[in-house]
Amino acid sequence: MTMEVALEDNNLMEKVLPPDEQEIDVELEAKEKKYLRGEGANLETLKDKKLKTQLASREKLYGKSAKAAAKIEKWLLPASAGYLETDGLEKTWRVKQTDIAKEVDILSSRNQYDIVLPDFGPYKLDFTASGRHMLAGGRKGHLALVDMMSMNLIKEIQVRETVRDVAFLHNDQFFAAAQKKYSYIYARDGTELHCLKERGPVARLRFLKNHFLLASVNKIGQLHYQDVTYGDMVASIRTGKGRTDVMEVNPYNGVVALGHSGGTVTMWKPTSQAPLVQMQCHPGPVSSVAFHPNGHLMATSGKERKLKIWDLRKFEEVQTIHGFHAKTLSFSQKGLLAAGTGSFVQVLGDSSGDYSRYMSHSMVKGYQIEKVMFRPYEDVLGIGHSMGWSSVLIPGSGEPNFDSWVANPFETTKQRREKEVHLLLDKLPPETIMLDPSKIGAMRPSRRKERPTRGEIEAEKEVAVEAAKGVELKKKTKGRNKPSKRTKKKKELVENVKKTFPEQEQGAAGKKRRIGEDAAADLPSSLKRFARKN
Amino acid sequence: MGGLKRKPSSSAKALAKSKKKKGPHLPNSILKVIANQKRPLNSDEEDDDDVIGSDDEHGGDLYEYEEGVPEEESRKNNRYDRHDNYDYELPDDFEDENVESEDDDDGGNSDNDEAEGDDDDDDDRHTRMLQSLTGMPSAAFEGESKSKPVLFTEAYPEGEFNPTRDVLEGKNVLTEEDFLAPLEGTPGYQKTSKQIARMRKDTKHVVHAPLPKPQRERLERKAVIGLVDEEFSKWVHLVKKNREAPTVYFNQDVDLGYSTVGAIASEFQPRTEFEKKMASVLNDSEVSMEDHIKDHNHIAKMRSLLFRHEFKSKRIKKIKSKTYHRLKNKDLKNSSLGALMDPEMAKEEAMRQEAKRVEERMTLKHRNTGKWAKRMISRGLNVKYDGPKAAIAEQLQMNANLSRKMNSMRDGSSSDESDDEEELNDGADEDTPSRLIAKAKEKTLKALEDDEVPNAGLMSLPFMKNEEANEEAKRALEEYEEWENSGGENSKKTVNVSGRRVFGATAKVEAPKESRKDSDNFYDDSDSDNDMAGIEDNNIEPVRDNASPARNTITETEKFDDDVAGNPASKTTFDVAMFASGSWKKMAGSKNTESKKASRKTRAPIPQAQDKKGWRDEESEDSESEAEQMVDGVLTSTSKETFEVPSQAELINRAFAGDDVLDEFEKDKEEVLNQEVPKPEKPVLVPGWGDWTNIQKKRGISKQMVQKHEAEKKEWEQGLKTRKDARLKHVIISEKVDKKAEKLHTTTLPFPFTSKEVFEHSMRMPIGPEFNPSTIVGELNRPEVVKKTGVIIKPVKFEEVNPNDEVDDEHPRNHQKQRPKKKTSRRQGKVKSK
Repeated sequence: MTMEVALEDNNLMEKVLPPDEQEIDVELEAKEKKYLRGEGANLETLKDKKLKTQLASREKLYGKSAKAAAKIEKWLLPASAGYLETDGLEKTWRVKQTDIAKEVDILSSRNQYDIVLPDFGPYKLDFTASGRHMLAGGRKGHLALVDMMSMNLIKEIQVRETVRDVAFLHNDQFFAAAQKKYSYIYARDGTELHCLKERGPVARLRFLKNHFLLASVNKIGQLHYQDVTYGDMVASIRTGKGRTDVMEVNPYNGVVALGHSGGTVTMWKPTSQAPLVQMQCHPGPVSSVAFHPNGHLMATSGKERKLKIWDLRKFEEVQTIHGFHAKTLSFSQKGLLAAGTGSFVQVLGDSSGDYSRYMSHSMVKGYQIEKVMFRPYEDVLGIGHSMGWSSVLIPGSGEPNFDSWVANPFETTKQRREKEVHLLLDKLPPETIMLDPSKIGAMRPSRRKERPTRGEIEAEKEVAVEAAKGVELKKKTKGRNKPSKRTKKKKELVENVKKTFPEQEQGAAGKKRRIGEDAAADLPSSLKRFARKN
Repeated sequence: MGGLKRKPSSSAKALAKSKKKKGPHLPNSILKVIANQKRPLNSDEEDDDDVIGSDDEHGGDLYEYEEGVPEEESRKNNRYDRHDNYDYELPDDFEDENVESEDDDDGGNSDNDEAEGDDDDDDDRHTRMLQSLTGMPSAAFEGESKSKPVLFTEAYPEGEFNPTRDVLEGKNVLTEEDFLAPLEGTPGYQKTSKQIARMRKDTKHVVHAPLPKPQRERLERKAVIGLVDEEFSKWVHLVKKNREAPTVYFNQDVDLGYSTVGAIASEFQPRTEFEKKMASVLNDSEVSMEDHIKDHNHIAKMRSLLFRHEFKSKRIKKIKSKTYHRLKNKDLKNSSLGALMDPEMAKEEAMRQEAKRVEERMTLKHRNTGKWAKRMISRGLNVKYDGPKAAIAEQLQMNANLSRKMNSMRDGSSSDESDDEEELNDGADEDTPSRLIAKAKEKTLKALEDDEVPNAGLMSLPFMKNEEANEEAKRALEEYEEWENSGGENSKKTVNVSGRRVFGATAKVEAPKESRKDSDNFYDDSDSDNDMAGIEDNNIEPVRDNASPARNTITETEKFDDDVAGNPASKTTFDVAMFASGSWKKMAGSKNTESKKASRKTRAPIPQAQDKKGWRDEESEDSESEAEQMVDGVLTSTSKETFEVPSQAELINRAFAGDDVLDEFEKDKEEVLNQEVPKPEKPVLVPGWGDWTNIQKKRGISKQMVQKHEAEKKEWEQGLKTRKDARLKHVIISEKVDKKAEKLHTTTLPFPFTSKEVFEHSMRMPIGPEFNPSTIVGELNRPEVVKKTGVIIKPVKFEEVNPNDEVDDEHPRNHQKQRPKKKTSRRQGKVKSK
């Protein structure tokens, strides 16, 4: 009884809410919508009453879950992303790093620095998913693993070989480097664990975290996927588009995109030899590609000094930014887009729907930017260039609230170990890589061509007949082992096999008859009575 | 009379006739035989007459004169076309009236029926018969008939279903009075007339003929269905609710009413006289329940003891052995006197016994009392041979040892072992330092004393004296005392001083040595490190920029060996200790970027105004700067290596960008489309096929082939249109089916779903713990049936369910209620309030 009374009270309370609480309600509703993951089906059309009620109660539960999640987000994830705010005529892109340094706290200002290492050539960078560790690979063989929290150098090695790309595997314990002839996998302490010879000279390396695949494209335009858990080469695909060093992974679905010299961007998955999508993005060579973390947006830049942003749901161009050519592109967790060319970095923001200038940073002249990459969970942009690497502050770029189940910058050893096990258990098979992974579990899309062609059937038949002919007959007792009987038996076997394949002519005959029927309609009325009836 | 025919007929006859009409047409002779066979079976006279009558009527065989009647007219078996009488057409609803009139007739005119059954065409005979039956004058009948001179022609032959017109009009109907009238005056008349009058009045007790069975059963079923429906419909809501519930619970409220025996007892109310008396005694008396129970238990125990004792004594008494009794008595004498009575003595006795036993055990073995030893001694072998001698000696020795040990144990004096134990305990207990010190002091004193004791013997020799140790001990003692005097108070405060420290003081002499050694090692290590660093320094010399402040120094390392990059064959890895040596330093770009730039400026003059310039200016300037670098000094030298001179092909590509790339892509797309949706081939004429000579005019491709081709083409176009990339010129989306990924989709809709859309919408939300708050995960993943093991699922009990109540998963409904009364009442209340 008491319960019911309380509920009623609640209802009353809901009816008369103070205005500020109503505002909170509106806020919560927006968040709830996000967690509902789309609308429920229209249950009115359902005839099955049992199913209807059950689905209705399910929807109710979903609503409850979304509401709880929204509340949790509201109260437990209080940190909001920062941003640059300017007064009047000031422009955000005029704000320099020095200006920012004056305003921010000490910890943040520690993230502004340049590391000058002029000897080992342009540096490639890679961050772990948590943003805790950074891997820097100098072109001339310098590999360095740095703890970004304490700014400690964990390990650095000189491989005395050209290093074209570096990539972390699932955590900071392992990393891969694409070197002159082969690519290698190193442990955290610099020991060489594996030499991946099958791939050949690799131009770009990317790691697919959810699938545990190390994807690489080599000098002759071959795309390789290797499972790092058991070492098998899952797929090796000839792209047939020539050499490329533009490669990026869509974090949403694991599809790998390659940019080619013909201005096309192709998207690949390990289970098919043909590209999923080919897009003619630029008239000239594609210089870089980047994906928004939600997987819906792709940014490409061509050598013809254009930067384009694409909607991957419609495969249509959303925006073109002229007069800008980016050697390297990177999306931040919050959707800012950094583009690096020469010694200049431009950061674009989508505050008003379209991407427009948000911030810019120019390095010392002559520093050739090799790679820009946002550090996860921090408002920091890492820039690898010909003279080492630099780090600048870009307010509002990183996700302010980290989820320790996803990526924890403050991970302890035990947590890391446990996470590793969980990651392995949750590993996705390579066939789950597809353009729209939300379709997994749905009805199978109808196949256009269900029936095998005649040629296929005939080939199959031939094979089966050959197999039947090759069957060794048992040696039977004296009277039954005559050669005539044996041949007869063999013939029978072959006939039986042939019977299993339906005659092709029959189908054709059926079609003919149908055509005859049609002809009956064309006949003059006096002759119609002679038409074949069924 | 002419054509007028009147045939008053009865229903019974009608039945018989209709049967005959509808059945197969049999010759009359056969029919007659059948009738004759049937006759003995039918004991009823009426039936008899009927059958005969009917036979008479139609049995053309029997009466010649009737053969003249045309068969068309008699309409036997409806074989003939209807022979129309144009005089009069009967109305359509004639039959209905007919039935009614028949019913009226049925009332009491069974006799009349009989009379009329024999009727013939002849009117005279008819009237005569009526006269004889009713006793009324024939004029009464004739008058009637004569008063109707109008000639009615019946449209049909008269039959049992077609009564005459006057019967239909209600005239000429026989009544009871008609039959009673001739009896008037006879002795029983009064009585019968009264009876009839009473019967007529009394409509209640008229028993109607029962309805035919199928009809009756139908009615019964109807009534029953109504009842059953009502009974079942009240379950509908309950069943519906259970069907639609996401989870059915069977483990709720397994309440047996009472939980404990105590609870049952507490609710006990005395009812009978005896119970009341007991209750009063129990409640009023001062003896508490506990005491009572205690007493009771005690008594029970004593009783059982007595009982056992009795049994035992009985058994002993039965034993006849004299020796047993004698021994027993002896024992009693020995022990019973004091030992059994006094516990103290008993203990002593027991102890004595024990000691004796042990002693005996000790003495038995290892003495020369063993069989072998005795033999040896008796034969004098122990003297003769060395082996046995030694063995016996050993045995004796052992005996001596053992006995000594036994004695010492009996003394219970403090032994070394106990001390050791104490020490161990002390160590474990983590005593306070003061105590530890005290102990240490004690020990040292003891050690000193020990040293002093041996004045004679080996130990007294001068070189055996451990003077140094003594001194050390004395020093330690002094220290202890000092510590006690000064830091006693402190010691009380500092509780957590580790025990190691204390013992460290005793081993003080060695400690510094060790530490020195450690440090030496440390330095040694560091030295070696330094050496390494030095070696590395030889390779990499840090050059510090003196101009900038210490924090913001731009440190550069000189080039690594030039060979490094150019010598890829040797790919052994080695550490580069740049971070360790501290030669790398952060260069904070925040505050001093300007200064840094300034410092840079000396080397690479760059226009500072670049920041102020706009978006495109930046770009153009960038390119300018690139050009600049090519000419520039130091920086260009470093950046030159990073710059890859674009290959010839690349340059050409860039130069001719946009020329044929799009065309190429279109071609590619066409190719891919052709592959995925193959274009149907055009029908082609094969030379020589379809004509005899080349003179013959060619007919062209057959119509069939053209039609087929067109259909295929349509299909192909449709296929192209439905593609995702049909409208996107710049995109090719592959629609190849990935066979490996097919297992990730369902081939058929799972059972309750009928539409794909609904199913896919229901699948959109993940239900795992990673995606949902922990408060909801349980509800989302609850099984359909929740049941504890061992709970018996009882049949559904009826309960009132509000049909408007929504299925609520929060408050699980109970399907097993032990006390449903309250709940139902509550629910009802709720319903009412709503």
